[in-house]
Amino acid sequence: MNAARCVAVAVFRESVRDKVFYNLVLFAVLLVGASVLIGQLTAGQDVKIIKDLGLAATSLFGLFIAIFVGISLVSKEVDRRSVYPLLAKPVRRTEFIVGKYCGLLLTLLANVIVMAIALYAVLFFLARGVPSQLQRAWDTPALDPALLKAIALIYLNLAVVTAVALFFSTYSSPILSAIFTLGIYVVGQFNADLKHFDRIVDSPAAIAVAKACYYVLPDFAKFDVKLAVVHGVPVSGTYMAATAAYAALYVAALLCGAVVIFSRRDFK
Amino acid sequence: MSAIRTRALSKDYHVGFWRPRPYRALDNLSIDVAPGDVFGFLGPNGAGKTTTLKLLMQLVFPTSGDAEILGRPVGDVGVRRRIGYLPENPYFYDHLTAEELLDYYGRLFGMSAAHRRARISATLERVGIGPERRLALRKFSKGMLQRVGIAQALLNDPEVLFLDEPMSGLDPLGRRDVRALMLELRDQGRTIFFSSHILSDAEALCSQVAIIAKGQLAAAGRLADLQHFAVLGWELVMSGVPAAALDRIRARARRVQSIAGDRYVIDLPPDGKPEEMLRELTAAGATLVSLNPLRETLEELFVRRVAEVGNGARP
Amino acid sequence: MTRVTAGVAAAMCLGGAVMLHAAQDRWTPPSVDRPELLYVRSPAVVKRAVLGYDAIVADVYWIRALQHFGEERLSPPQHVRTYALLYPLLDLTTTLDPYFSIAYRFGSIFLGEPYPGGPGRPDEAVALLEKGLTAQPAKWQYMQDLGFVYYWHLRDFNAAASAFQRAADMPGAPSWLRPLAAVTLAEGGNRKASRALWQQLAQSEEPWLSDAATLRLAQLDAMEVMEAWRNFRRQRGVTPPLPLDPSGTPFAIDPLTGDITVARESKLFPLPGQIQAPR
Repeated sequence: MNAARCVAVAVFRESVRDKVFYNLVLFAVLLVGASVLIGQLTAGQDVKIIKDLGLAATSLFGLFIAIFVGISLVSKEVDRRSVYPLLAKPVRRTEFIVGKYCGLLLTLLANVIVMAIALYAVLFFLARGVPSQLQRAWDTPALDPALLKAIALIYLNLAVVTAVALFFSTYSSPILSAIFTLGIYVVGQFNADLKHFDRIVDSPAAIAVAKACYYVLPDFAKFDVKLAVVHGVPVSGTYMAATAAYAALYVAALLCGAVVIFSRRDFK
Repeated sequence: MSAIRTRALSKDYHVGFWRPRPYRALDNLSIDVAPGDVFGFLGPNGAGKTTTLKLLMQLVFPTSGDAEILGRPVGDVGVRRRIGYLPENPYFYDHLTAEELLDYYGRLFGMSAAHRRARISATLERVGIGPERRLALRKFSKGMLQRVGIAQALLNDPEVLFLDEPMSGLDPLGRRDVRALMLELRDQGRTIFFSSHILSDAEALCSQVAIIAKGQLAAAGRLADLQHFAVLGWELVMSGVPAAALDRIRARARRVQSIAGDRYVIDLPPDGKPEEMLRELTAAGATLVSLNPLRETLEELFVRRVAEVGNGARP
Repeated sequence: MTRVTAGVAAAMCLGGAVMLHAAQDRWTPPSVDRPELLYVRSPAVVKRAVLGYDAIVADVYWIRALQHFGEERLSPPQHVRTYALLYPLLDLTTTLDPYFSIAYRFGSIFLGEPYPGGPGRPDEAVALLEKGLTAQPAKWQYMQDLGFVYYWHLRDFNAAASAFQRAADMPGAPSWLRPLAAVTLAEGGNRKASRALWQQLAQSEEPWLSDAATLRLAQLDAMEVMEAWRNFRRQRGVTPPLPLDPSGTPFAIDPLTGDITVARESKLFPLPGQIQAPR
């Protein structure tokens, strides 16, 4: 798997040179700006709101990166034909796919880690001005380690979205891939509705299709524990493990699918 | 063992969206390249040269037939350690420098850091890229990109080289350098398979050629074998030819052309006995400028064979 | 077009657009009573539309609810205060984030407030609290707030006592809830029971809650003073001088009824039950 590792590092380096990480500057500005401005507006809810904002921004920015970089991971190399000299080297097509995926995952990991550190830093400074008596009344402490659970699940969410984007990138143009990936993400958020389609429509065929979609399409709502974590509702280790396994299985399925498509693709 | 061998290699593409019809880009290609050969793969644009190279690199998959490199089937990953490939109009990665690109490829070969450094320096130097090696590839001209392409093909010291239009984008100096390089590589015992539509390069370099047109093999073999060795005529150039002799010359020559003052080009038929005419004209006071046998050029061979394919003839 | 020409043209066009914008603002007559619009009212729709970013959108609606409340509170006297958006905004906030306890509690205190302090809709306060209890059935604070709404705004002392009782039974409930239930049942409407309730709320860590409770306690004190003054006048037949109310402003005599009342300028005005909302 040396070849996969080389390709992964190359993807990471390309992200750096494409200035993907500048999104962190925007993130920092957003958090710091919000923490300065919201003091007057929220009747003592500053810490909660900063946590919500930090987690939402981590998820949203990460989503943009996963989709926009993911959809061109393979298609860019194929369109520009830099894949020709690459595949003439001792690299299997499978290693190419795995390497590309891991490279973007690495980029996202670095992004999420820096965002987590920034969030904790802002929360630290925010909580410093608040007397400890008031802090005891909060649902959760400012520097709550449970935030890491939410962040970990956000990362797993991004891993699945990246796999979806990569899968489409193996044969679709970037625009189509973006549409499909976003479409699957949106439907994945409405999973609960799909399950209960029988409450909305009468047609048995539609209900059956909806139920099938509910089970087969990735359920992105699973990865969202932001509300629970901010309000101190416990998230069990079992839940984390089960969701992580779901993510791993789904990613593996998508990568295998991508390998199936890419292995026999003619580069005209 | 052949260095490269194909057997009835064919490739169909499907053209059209609603009712795709197969388009035969390559039809039953069978060639055999011995180790150490410089094999020229010639043909007009769109003949199937690049398709053949892509089939050999397994960038596309054959509809039927198979191909082997160094005795192993074409998809074999191990064999790729021993070959180098230069695609047509190569494009690499804009954001990398030449050095970084070669370093990336070097890592893919599993080279150690020291070995990589040595090979990168050696290949870049050999293709004539000096301080530009630290520039991002987006700043490279077409000719320089071509040189980088050759460098990356040589990086792993390959036994077999596949070059698709190696001269494209190069100025005359560059082409001379690449020709010299290819001869050097041949002298080192490497096999070179290159495609081109520039015949003069093939004439200078190849020991074997194949001519391909409309996906079909029009001719294959040693260059000398393909070109009719028979003499098609003689070209005699004399200066100081006396006007009195001209009528006598015109009776025996196919064509007589004056090029300057009293210098004439005399085109004699194959049995025109140029030595006799030379003796006669010299005795009459003329001077010899040059005497050349006329043989079929590669271009004429090319045009003839391509036309034959167009008319449905088989080689 | 040269670069300089293009640059000047750009500046001029932008300047023109800015001036036109300002002019349009002047032309449109200022409408004081333009009703506020809430484009999406249905919490179910919003919950689907936010695609997993519920918490942060809930925060936005919370901020809007506070702003709406503050604007209505601080609006000039001629403005009719409807607080029309308070319940919809709090409803949206709590649908998106069912654990957003401060939204429920804020609603419980201020939704029931009669004009001009609030919309005077204790039924909405009850609905909001019951929604909160569906999400978190063991949250004693909501049950306590429910009791408060029944007591203070709906004057249904049986329901209030039962709510306090149920709150007292929940895990983590403080010890003063049980006696509060008892007092409510026995002397509901009595100032003593009310005082006990407000005293507990005055100890809350939420500043706006404790401030509201302190105000109520001062009002109760004022009512005690007023009653003493009336008794004195009735018994002695003499009109005693007007004392200062607990906020430091002297009481006044209502010209229509001749009765003692809290002055309009006082912080304690209006006392509960003093002003009717316009229909």
